[in-house]
Amino acid sequence: MSGVRAVRISIESACEKQVQEVGLDGTETYLQPLSMSQNLARLAQRIDFSQGSGSEEEEAAGAEGDAQDWAGAGSSADQDDDEGLVKFQPSLWPWDSVRNNLRSALTEMCVLYDVLSIVRDKKFMTLDPVSQDALPPKQNPQTLQLMSKKKSLAGAAQILLKGAERLTKSVTENQENKLQRDFNSELLRLRQHWKLRKVGDKILGDLSYRSAGSLFPHHGTFEVIKNTDLDLDKKIPEDYCPLDVQIPSDLEGSAYIKVSIQKQSPDIGDLGTVNLFKRPLPKSKPGSPHWQTKLEAAQNVLLCKEIFAQLSREAVQIKSQIPHIVVKNQIISQPFPNLQLSISLCHSSNDKKSQKFATEKQSPEDHLYVLEHNLHLLIREFHKQTLSSIMMPHPASAPFGHKRMRLSGPQAFDKNEINSLQSSEGLLEKIIKQAKHIFLRSRTAATIDSLASRIEDPQIQAHWSNINDVYESSVKVLITSQGYEQICKVITLSYQEQELQDFLLSQFVMDLKVAAKLWFSFPVISVKTFQKVMFYKTPNGVIFVGHSKKFIGIKWKVETLFIKWSCLFSRNFDLKLLFLKIIIRKCVFSTLSAFTL
Amino acid sequence: MGVTCVSQMPVAEGKSVQQTVELLTRKLEMLGAEKQGTFCVDCETYHTAASTLGSQGQTGKLMYVMHNSEYPLSCFALFENGPCLIADTNFDVLMVKLKGFFQSAKASKIETRGTRYQYCDFLVKVGTVTMGPSARGISVEVEYGPCVVASDCWSLLLEFLQSFLGSHTPGAPAVFGNRHDVVYGPADTMVQYMELFNKIRKQQQVPVAGIR
Repeated sequence: MSGVRAVRISIESACEKQVQEVGLDGTETYLQPLSMSQNLARLAQRIDFSQGSGSEEEEAAGAEGDAQDWAGAGSSADQDDDEGLVKFQPSLWPWDSVRNNLRSALTEMCVLYDVLSIVRDKKFMTLDPVSQDALPPKQNPQTLQLMSKKKSLAGAAQILLKGAERLTKSVTENQENKLQRDFNSELLRLRQHWKLRKVGDKILGDLSYRSAGSLFPHHGTFEVIKNTDLDLDKKIPEDYCPLDVQIPSDLEGSAYIKVSIQKQSPDIGDLGTVNLFKRPLPKSKPGSPHWQTKLEAAQNVLLCKEIFAQLSREAVQIKSQIPHIVVKNQIISQPFPNLQLSISLCHSSNDKKSQKFATEKQSPEDHLYVLEHNLHLLIREFHKQTLSSIMMPHPASAPFGHKRMRLSGPQAFDKNEINSLQSSEGLLEKIIKQAKHIFLRSRTAATIDSLASRIEDPQIQAHWSNINDVYESSVKVLITSQGYEQICKVITLSYQEQELQDFLLSQFVMDLKVAAKLWFSFPVISVKTFQKVMFYKTPNGVIFVGHSKKFIGIKWKVETLFIKWSCLFSRNFDLKLLFLKIIIRKCVFSTLSAFTL
Repeated sequence: MGVTCVSQMPVAEGKSVQQTVELLTRKLEMLGAEKQGTFCVDCETYHTAASTLGSQGQTGKLMYVMHNSEYPLSCFALFENGPCLIADTNFDVLMVKLKGFFQSAKASKIETRGTRYQYCDFLVKVGTVTMGPSARGISVEVEYGPCVVASDCWSLLLEFLQSFLGSHTPGAPAVFGNRHDVVYGPADTMVQYMELFNKIRKQQQVPVAGIR
């Protein structure tokens, strides 16, 4: 320290004194900065005693910065105190508020101290808790919930009841209206069943099958009219309907297609007679309005007309061996010689004059209901075909027509294949086939029955299958003989007209040990066109080789049966297989009588 | 569709095309074949338009559009060694629309027309190949219906061909070549016809028989 010279350091405070005023000659009069005590006083004035303890601490911290000056300033403050009392007005004295607050605090503390000391003695003052209402028992939260739920439910119920009221009101209104049958509500009902459209001020409907695929050119339009002939004075009748439909005149009444098979050919003069017997209308559903029955009947008439138009068109166009005759409302064709199939459209309108014909007696057995039903089915099939996806092209840009025809180009079908695609039997051909089948079946059944009744040994049983096609039937003919378990043979006969059918008989193992038994050789009915029927049967033959056969030939009266059976069988004694060839011909046999040799 | 063999019958010496055809048909009728109408196979040639060819100047491909009366609703389009397309008859209309890409070669329409004979399982078609107004040759097509695999029935076909063609019997067609077990299809027939037509086109015109 002694070696180094002391360096003089001059310190200058940064803050300059504030300028109070600038004299005219440029001299500046500076404001004296606040002295320490003045500064403290200023800060003390700023203390807010109403604030909480936290702020007091802050203030205290802020004030501590001047703590060191406190002692120094304290004395000066005292001095100022006195001076302040004399010189300054009390409101301007910065320490005033501090002093007042402190004084009041002191007062209060004294009071509190006094009270507490008196209370401690418990002679003149006691402390008593303030009485409060007993706390209500602890509330169950569940009951609270229950209450609130009840309330809200009640509110919801109110709303629902209001709505229900409204509904019941409207329902009762409807009920009343029903009796009155408003036109519009009736129209709504009509619209649920039939297609309606408004043209101008008329309401028209469509009862044709065009939307279902029919190509019949009939328009099938009916008109809906308001029924205004209501006499308000009189009582409203039960079946009053404010709506009425007007159907085209040619569709009035009811119609059906009559299909019948007759044996004898009628006179030419009888052809074309309009067969009218008024079939009772099919019972409409109870409760269905009268316009529904009317429209349904009209639609049925239209369908029958379409069927008949289609049939007659085919009858004229299609070339067949025996031409079909189309007369007025009847089509006559001959599926078999001496057999006549007649299809006629019976349309009975509701006029008075047709009532006369109602008494005409027509045997209902004539009418083949099955075929009529089938006709309806077939035409509906045809309708569906036009709308099916087979005809509608996918993709939409492909040409119209049957799907396979569209493919025939890219797949290079040759003529045979194309022809097979295009083979479409008309309605008429199908119906004729079905009629033939029915006829054949009934005759076969009759023949088998008569055969069974005539021949006692062996016994013939026929079981007709339940599952039949319209073109095929099958019958199981069991030929059994007493004492021969092995002999029973089962022939399943299924025929298609004009077709050959080969039968394989199940084999037939002969046990030589039971040679004593009859060896049954299969009965053969061979029919040729000149009516020879041979029936072979071996009775109790013991000798297998060369034993004589007894023949039983049967000629029988089969008017209409045309089953030609020819049998090839081997004369081999361990006969295993018999082949039976059955051909059905459409020939008629004349009388055959039974005989035995 | 059975296995088919298409061949050319050379015109007999000193006779015209028509006379040769008549000879053949008479032979067939003597064999016992029955006439069943007529047939027609025609072919048009298209080549790819110049605008679609690349800058290297690659040669355009030739496309043949053929019809066969045996498949009346179909149209065949084939390239020389390429695929054969079987389409329906709207394809012809499509070709008109594709004029920009395929141009028809002029005077290239070639066709064969003749009669169709059925002899049991064989279908024989003898036709005159004409290009424009002139007859250029004779085509003979034999189809054996029951079989669809070429290798199985070629020997039978050959024998049958020998029976009425005699020495002019052709060898196995190229289409049978390596595809022995593949099912034969109409496209193969058309390929054979295309080859036949090309061959005939390249030949000289049939010399007119000298009038004696």
